[in-house]
Amino acid sequence: MSYLLKRALGAGCSMGRNVLNNAKSPMIQRIVTKTEQAAPQEETRPTVAKVDPLQKSQLVDFGKYVAECMPKYVQKVQLTAGNELEVLVPPEGVLPVLQFLKDHHTAQFTNLVDIAGMDVPNRQYRFEIIYNLLSLRYNSRIRVKTYTDELTPIESANDVFKAANWYEREIWDMFGVFFANHPDLRRILTDYGFEGHPFRKDFPLSGYVEVRYDDEQKRVVVEPLELAQEFRRFELSAPWEQFPNFRSNPASEEIINPGDDKTKQ
Amino acid sequence: MAAKQAIQVGTKIVKPVLSTNHAEARLRVLSLYKAWYRQIPYIVKEFDIPKSENQCREKLKELFMTNKDVTDIRVIDLLVIKGQMELQESVNMWKQKGHIMAYFKPTEEPKPKGFLSKFFNSNE
Amino acid sequence: MGVLKKTTGLYGLAVAPNAHHTLGALYGKILRTLKKMPEDSTYRKYTEQIVKERAAVLTKTKDVFEIEAKINCGQAEELIVQAENELNLARKMLNWKPWEPLVSKPPAGQWDWPPTKA
Repeated sequence: MSYLLKRALGAGCSMGRNVLNNAKSPMIQRIVTKTEQAAPQEETRPTVAKVDPLQKSQLVDFGKYVAECMPKYVQKVQLTAGNELEVLVPPEGVLPVLQFLKDHHTAQFTNLVDIAGMDVPNRQYRFEIIYNLLSLRYNSRIRVKTYTDELTPIESANDVFKAANWYEREIWDMFGVFFANHPDLRRILTDYGFEGHPFRKDFPLSGYVEVRYDDEQKRVVVEPLELAQEFRRFELSAPWEQFPNFRSNPASEEIINPGDDKTKQ
Repeated sequence: MAAKQAIQVGTKIVKPVLSTNHAEARLRVLSLYKAWYRQIPYIVKEFDIPKSENQCREKLKELFMTNKDVTDIRVIDLLVIKGQMELQESVNMWKQKGHIMAYFKPTEEPKPKGFLSKFFNSNE
Repeated sequence: MGVLKKTTGLYGLAVAPNAHHTLGALYGKILRTLKKMPEDSTYRKYTEQIVKERAAVLTKTKDVFEIEAKINCGQAEELIVQAENELNLARKMLNWKPWEPLVSKPPAGQWDWPPTKA
């Protein structure tokens, strides 16, 4: 990726290119050609986003670069929506990978754009924590994903990115994921005395309590909500999931997957 | 198969939140209780709530006792953490009078218990 | 270098009085830290390559503007920041040991999407 970035900065000698090209082991070469073969065909449909093959190959290269540098912490690298690079790491690897992406010469993802959460209740680790990073130097973005459950604390990224402070408070408030070693973890979006974590899939749409002004008490009172209807049964399938085109098109394509035995051989 | 899975869950090695054993978790709970207990006079005075200190202490005990059956150390730890956050909110007066009074639920009507009262309630 | 540089034009980044020397010292430190890592560590290999290339530019010329043009990764002051970051990272890497095999595998179906397939 770094050489793409250099290109954006202007022509001239590019050290990053040498770095990425010199050190390709034969195994990696093979994988590259595989993805290249799978990729081609020019997109002509006007409603479909066009994939820039140059950008894509650079992202693929950089994904492999990250996986090679940190084999201990990278479970999988994938490309989503054609041009979004994702690094999937175990919870132990969040800090090392973020630090690497921030400080390494050819990465320099110095901005933490956002931390997001996601809840998929039927997984063993139901929450995904997603870090979006931006490199101003190389004009590119990357996404780091990890997983946890309700009771497993995740190491706070506040030491790496100061911006993580409030984002982690949001995740704590909305999902109830505890961040260890956070300097000031407390609620940020909900009212004092609010119970529960609203972004969890098992949190009812209506909430548990209702709040109103009481004339006799002369203040706002909190009362349990009487639901006129049973709790919703949550189906995780998207409305378009029943269409075969969606099912057969995986959202992301795999670049490297050391966490899986099959690709190891 | 199901039994096997249950055993696996039972012996899973997990990352502790704060405490590593029950004694430690118990100490945390007790120190949180004491901190709340000592704060009660100030809460009553500063929030100007229409409750006596004794009533507040009873409520405090009641709230702690609602979780008396929790045995998972990590769940206890998380409850303690949430309790500490609430204490912080009360000490710093981030909460308002209404938030404190919400513990006492003064406006909630008791749920109908007997068959007849349930029947009358549903016909309102 | 007749012109004296007054500002980097970047907020909070002062002009480095002796960029050539600082860079050289930093690159030396990085290389010494990397030496403590195992030979076959990919991180060490790649970082050594980058740093050595940059250090080679330093040995060829003393002119800061020429260094900037040759390395082509921002002003000398930014190069210093990058080198400091890399040094920091390399020292932390010694503790993390990222060259070891994968620390834990994802549970089955963790990274599957859509999740209903699992």
